[in-house]
Amino acid sequence: MKRDAELYPQKTAVVCGSNIVSYSELWQKVLEKAAELPKNEIVVFRASQSLDFLLTYFALHVNGSVAVPMEKDVPEESFQEVKDLVTKSKTPLGSADILFTTGTTGKKKGVIISHETIIADGENLVEGQGFTHNLAFVITGPFNHIGSLSKIYPVIIKGATLIITEGMKNVNDFFSALDLGFEKFATFLVPSAIRILLQFSGEKLKNYASKIDFIETGAAAISLSDMKKLCEVLPQSRLYNTYASTETGIISTYNFNDGRCLEGCLGRPMSRSKIVITDEGLISCQGKTLMSGYFGDEELTAKVLKDNTVYTSDFGRLDLEGMLRLSGRIDDVINTGGFKVAPTEVESVALSMPEISDCICVAAPHPILGTALKLIYVSVVAVSKKEIALYIKARLESFKVPFYYEEAEKIQRTFNGKLDRKFYRK
Amino acid sequence: MKEKILNLLEDALPMVDFSSEFLFSAMDSLSVTTVLAILSDEFKITLDAEDATPKNFMNLDSIVALVENKLKEK
Repeated sequence: MKRDAELYPQKTAVVCGSNIVSYSELWQKVLEKAAELPKNEIVVFRASQSLDFLLTYFALHVNGSVAVPMEKDVPEESFQEVKDLVTKSKTPLGSADILFTTGTTGKKKGVIISHETIIADGENLVEGQGFTHNLAFVITGPFNHIGSLSKIYPVIIKGATLIITEGMKNVNDFFSALDLGFEKFATFLVPSAIRILLQFSGEKLKNYASKIDFIETGAAAISLSDMKKLCEVLPQSRLYNTYASTETGIISTYNFNDGRCLEGCLGRPMSRSKIVITDEGLISCQGKTLMSGYFGDEELTAKVLKDNTVYTSDFGRLDLEGMLRLSGRIDDVINTGGFKVAPTEVESVALSMPEISDCICVAAPHPILGTALKLIYVSVVAVSKKEIALYIKARLESFKVPFYYEEAEKIQRTFNGKLDRKFYRK
Repeated sequence: MKEKILNLLEDALPMVDFSSEFLFSAMDSLSVTTVLAILSDEFKITLDAEDATPKNFMNLDSIVALVENKLKEK
């Protein structure tokens, strides 16, 4: 950023609402922010869609501190829990961020990301998707998620422009961003956001076709019909489906607007990454984009990160062209709208409600999300779904609150008493 | 009409408090989209994403007014 401030001082670095900040102003503001923030510490903060988020994030790095951006609506109790967990501890030298994700047991996992990883992710994206100096990248998702956070890096590497929006709730804001006077635009949209755009604003999106250089999707499976529709609406744009996770970094990407539109294809590994398929058919990744480990959990780190390889829970194969084809997950984690949710975490909160005696959280089809959470529950006294939803919402992030509720007389269990998840997948 | 809309929306989005006077800020993109989809379907009106403005989604009354205006336009 310091280099960008010297090379392109007047170039617009960030647009956020009415705030328009050049690279020289951005660097100055980051230095001012750095003076207010702690040095060489681990700092937990809420990730808002704002210029202040960027200033805090960069200032912490300038100070040699580690940034821990949390979901902006994370309940205060969970926020404090993470704060207490990390602030008195140490991370390996060169650590930049700790990003918290959900583990299979519902326990939060702090993924440690190094500065080297950030640069490798940025370089992978610059080369793999063609970020350029005259590009304006529109951020629509939360900054504590790698999908949006990772786009800061290639933008800074190329001295391009970042436009921060509040998300896809007010689609007018998204289109207003595309009305700003930049030469070409790109964005990252989870598949449900693409669904929203195609279903409710497909015609309008067509008007912007010549301005949209590329759109990247990822974090969840996009349907073939939406891929095809997007190709029709934006015939000249590059449309990428990317394989990435907090643990592996940005690994591979595929432009499905290539005339073939291959479903489930995530492309060839980028230049700083390598994919190896294990004997069990699981995807493992190597290269400089990998995490440094899980914060304070050596046992889990040793299980997932061995010999500079991250072993994922995703099934996949490499096709004859060396492109990754994804086929599912080995564990019970449910991907809803790009967020991974451990059903056990939802079930544990629901069971703490006195009115509920048993329950199971399962995946259910949803017209926008693709997959939504559904809670099937047994109640001891009458309880409305609104009461259950509000109870869970007070204790978990909003994306973990089930969308559907179904009362049942009993929950199916296996012969040894475990929840019979396979029964509910039928 | 208001009660019918409230029942429909509360059934689909139990976590949203439809008595709020700051409804738009209390909703996420999925909730907003769900409201659009349910109302379009129920009242056979055309609602697109640009109708989901903070003004139109300020409270339940403004959503009802949006539906009534769209019905008049039919």
